[in-house]
Amino acid sequence: MSEMSGPLVVPSAGAAEIAFGVEHEIAPEDPITPPGRWMRENLFSSWSNGIQTVLFAAILIGILKWLLNLVFAEESDWASVATNIRLLFAYNYPVEQFVRVWVSLGTLLAAAGLSIAAWNLDLSFTLRKLGINTATGGGVLVLVGILTPGTAPSDVRAGMFVLGAILLVIGLAVLFGVKDPHRKRIPFEALLISVAGLVVAFVWLFPLGRYEFAGDEASYASGTINISTKGPWTVMMIVLVASFLVGKALGRVLPSGALKGVMAAFWVIGPAFLIFVVLRDPAFDWGYVWAVDVPMALGFALLGGGVLYFLTKPGLGELGRIIGAVLFGVAVFNWVAAFFGLYPMLQKGRISFMLLAVFAILAPTFAGERAARLRFATGWAVLVVVMHWLITAINTPSTLEIVAPPFLGGFILSVSIAYYVMLASFPLGILLALARTSKLPIFRVMSTVYIEILRGVPLITILFFFSIMLNLFLPGGMSISELAAIFTGYSLFSAAYMAENIRGGLQAIRRGQYEASDALGLTTVQRTMFIVLPQALRVTIPNLVGQAIATFKETSLVSIVGGFELVRIANQTIPNQPDYIGQNRPALLFISLVFWAFSYSMSRASRSLEQHLGVGTGR
Amino acid sequence: MTASTAPVTHSSQARPPIWRNTTILKWGVQIIVLALVIAAFTFLVSQAKTNLDQKGIPVDYDWINDPANIQLGEGIDTQPNSMGRALWSGMVNTLRIAGVGILVATIIGVFVGLARLSHNWLAQKVASIYVETLRNIPVLVQILLWFAILTSLGDLTQDSGVLNDFVFLSQKGISIPRVFFADGFYQWLFLLLVFGVGIHFVRKRLQRKQDLEGGDKHIGLISFGLWVLAAAIAWPANPIMSWVGSIFDAIADVWGSIPETLMQLILTAIAVGAAVIWIRRFLESRRTPAGLAKLTDDDWFRMIFAGIAALIAALFIWILWPGLSSWIINSGRDFFEFLGNKFGGERGSLPLDAMKPTLSEGRFVNYGPTGLTMSVFFASLFFGLVFYTSSFIAEIVRGGVLAVPPGQSEAAAAVGLSRMQSLRKVVLPQAFRVIMPPLGNQYLNLTKNTSLAIAVGYSDVVQVGQSLYNKNNQTLAVFGIWMTFFLACSLTTSLVVNIINRRLEIVER
Repeated sequence: MSEMSGPLVVPSAGAAEIAFGVEHEIAPEDPITPPGRWMRENLFSSWSNGIQTVLFAAILIGILKWLLNLVFAEESDWASVATNIRLLFAYNYPVEQFVRVWVSLGTLLAAAGLSIAAWNLDLSFTLRKLGINTATGGGVLVLVGILTPGTAPSDVRAGMFVLGAILLVIGLAVLFGVKDPHRKRIPFEALLISVAGLVVAFVWLFPLGRYEFAGDEASYASGTINISTKGPWTVMMIVLVASFLVGKALGRVLPSGALKGVMAAFWVIGPAFLIFVVLRDPAFDWGYVWAVDVPMALGFALLGGGVLYFLTKPGLGELGRIIGAVLFGVAVFNWVAAFFGLYPMLQKGRISFMLLAVFAILAPTFAGERAARLRFATGWAVLVVVMHWLITAINTPSTLEIVAPPFLGGFILSVSIAYYVMLASFPLGILLALARTSKLPIFRVMSTVYIEILRGVPLITILFFFSIMLNLFLPGGMSISELAAIFTGYSLFSAAYMAENIRGGLQAIRRGQYEASDALGLTTVQRTMFIVLPQALRVTIPNLVGQAIATFKETSLVSIVGGFELVRIANQTIPNQPDYIGQNRPALLFISLVFWAFSYSMSRASRSLEQHLGVGTGR
Repeated sequence: MTASTAPVTHSSQARPPIWRNTTILKWGVQIIVLALVIAAFTFLVSQAKTNLDQKGIPVDYDWINDPANIQLGEGIDTQPNSMGRALWSGMVNTLRIAGVGILVATIIGVFVGLARLSHNWLAQKVASIYVETLRNIPVLVQILLWFAILTSLGDLTQDSGVLNDFVFLSQKGISIPRVFFADGFYQWLFLLLVFGVGIHFVRKRLQRKQDLEGGDKHIGLISFGLWVLAAAIAWPANPIMSWVGSIFDAIADVWGSIPETLMQLILTAIAVGAAVIWIRRFLESRRTPAGLAKLTDDDWFRMIFAGIAALIAALFIWILWPGLSSWIINSGRDFFEFLGNKFGGERGSLPLDAMKPTLSEGRFVNYGPTGLTMSVFFASLFFGLVFYTSSFIAEIVRGGVLAVPPGQSEAAAAVGLSRMQSLRKVVLPQAFRVIMPPLGNQYLNLTKNTSLAIAVGYSDVVQVGQSLYNKNNQTLAVFGIWMTFFLACSLTTSLVVNIINRRLEIVER
């Protein structure tokens, strides 16, 4: 990227320019320029340049000073944040069961470590970059220390000076003490281990103080943070490093792609498991589960799998279509019968029949050799088992004893909503995009109308509509929880944007691809599934990451329609606590930082992903 | 060739069975899906109707004229006498903040975007910190933060300002002196327009002369000077144009006397005419030198669809909402009367006047000749939206400038243009083409994000709508109004962007 035209490569905050793949793809870095010459070239090369330097220095210092005054204002009580950290991240999740939260986080970190190893993400960087970033960080910290107003605690200020000076010295020493720092790379393993080590050392050694609620009163004690926080975090860091090392070792043993496949499957299914089983802890009635749920799921998986295996036989001809049509008829009949109160059946049975019919109609498209047929049947079996298990888990009452009804809240809620909205709107978005680009005019008009209407109205009105009105539209006796209604509305909204993103990808596909697949005699469905979509989705990935960031940021709107999400806690719950009446500014600043950190790292990752995809088109 | 075509003709003669006929399959599937969607909708709507009937809530718009009994924080009408008037006031508030927000966000965004491209290292860094910070924090959080900051400012007193008597900054809001349109403004504007026609001719003549004789005739400088001169002459002379008002009054009279049936006929004629013109143009575009190309079923569908659209419009005008034409007549008359009022009158004062903020009892005076006041509600929403959106605009501007091939600015440097000149005359005009479509999107986003006003209590259309349906339970009807309003905004914006885009397109030679 042309972020920089001078000789010094950007020493911006996000130093971890993730470079994927192998060493030779990383552009070589320039050697160090002496500071005097660098300043002459970049800050004072001409009169206008000098004026710009002065102007922007003034702007920078002014904004920094204003921000620091805000942070350290006398009326801001930062204890309101420190005491309520758990509230902000997990809301009212019962303290006795908190190990469930840690297990979930640990699982995610382990999966992250394995995935980094599986995809061989090389996040290493050179000593030069390390030096520049450390020195810049130190310099900024010293500047912040100078600009910090007198209202700040004196030890905080002194800490800034000391830490800043240390970082500055280390950074300069690396830059000018080591020979050719731009040629020496720090391996990623070392980087990961030292970051994890630093985190562990920080939580054990740094005297942040203990803030907690004793009964209803906020209390404070000096010293390091609680063992109930630093213990789990130590374990988390160990899990992260260990899983990365295990992943590296597995990568040498397993066939390539095996670990990737498993991890990809985990990222689709895993979070659902964590939320609905680990966090929600449903009180399964095991007798019923074994008597009804398991046989039903297995029955669908095996019998349906068998039928699908048969249907994917090449050369089945008209018979396959007829079986598919019959199955579809049965599936529709199930719903119609339910409408008239006949033929009672568990709802998930009806859903499974409908899904099976769709798979059966698609089956001839996937006809092929034995392995491909087996893969198709297995895909069905896994999907149906997971679906049955999820439906059962969601419909089982939770064992958690929670003060307020939602068991999801705070940061966990934001992340969950963002994740599931993206996941749910993905298939719908693909369908809408295909419909909008298709040659079938009625489909095109319907999809265009849907997309343009949803894109034309603000998200908040959609959320209002669904949270208030969805129950009105449901037939008598059926009702849906407010959170589920919000989630539905958000997914439908997000699908419209998803469709537009995917449409961009579809348009990027060259005519020749269509012509070639026609020449091979592929059907429209085969062409779409095997030729068009894989290429289109690949092009779309950076935009999808962008949409994921937007979705994550906009989960903040859930706070307006009633979800106990970060913003609601910061702006309403904390200022209403007797100890912190009216203290919403520190909490809002804190959650801005949380949102920023997540969105920013995602956008950095997407940018390097873009470069990676650009590099890798030949493969 | 002949060998390979022979079996094809043969097989096309043997008609496929009906369930394999692609045309029938294609339309069959589409019609079935359409029927299913319509059936699902009908089911849901009838369900909602049953549920609402059970609760005793009729779904209609009769409540629009009911007394509102709510007080709005600010706007054209803070104590509206009807619910419709309250919503109207909310819409104006939305448009007000969207309009000003778009203007300011564009200015800041362009500045930051160009700073990111500067050769100066510090300017680049500061600009990219600005962008990366602001666009990664949710706009709602930013708005709430501004609200928290502004409400914790001091009380409003005579000296609670940055600059006593002139700029005020307090928890009651922000106020600065302003220049406003005085009574003579519109007449002055009209006079300027008349002068403008003359200046246009002078300009054209100079241009022709320059083209013929070469050399620099300083066209820009001369026409600028003429504009200044015209403005100065028109300044005291504006009352001579007060007769313009009577023209508008006459138009208002004519407009108001159109019978309703005639207006209905005119509207129908417009709808049918538009459909006919569209279909004719469409057929024209399908015409090849060898005659009319064979129309596909998709083409037929489009033409039939245009016909149906015209039919629906006619239905709307005559049966579904016959009041539409009288509404158009009345509002048209009101509009021209308003113009007549503005342009007429012998009040003959200066076109522009300036006022500084005035206080009374610890509050700003909001009405009459006073300063430009932003309430804290307006200000927090405004700052949040403007800074957030400007960070996206900055990225768009930067991307647009980078999309101009470097050869262009190199060529500009080679012919001796300075960096500023090459930016203004070579790079930016080309970048504008790339910038325009995403910029339109951002404007739309900003307009839609004004709905977050509800978080700070600024009375925009969403907030007013919510307080209305909390009173009378007409949720569905209010949603209909919101949807129509925002769709109208987005359609207008995309229309404007499309028009600008078409004008900016490179003329292929």
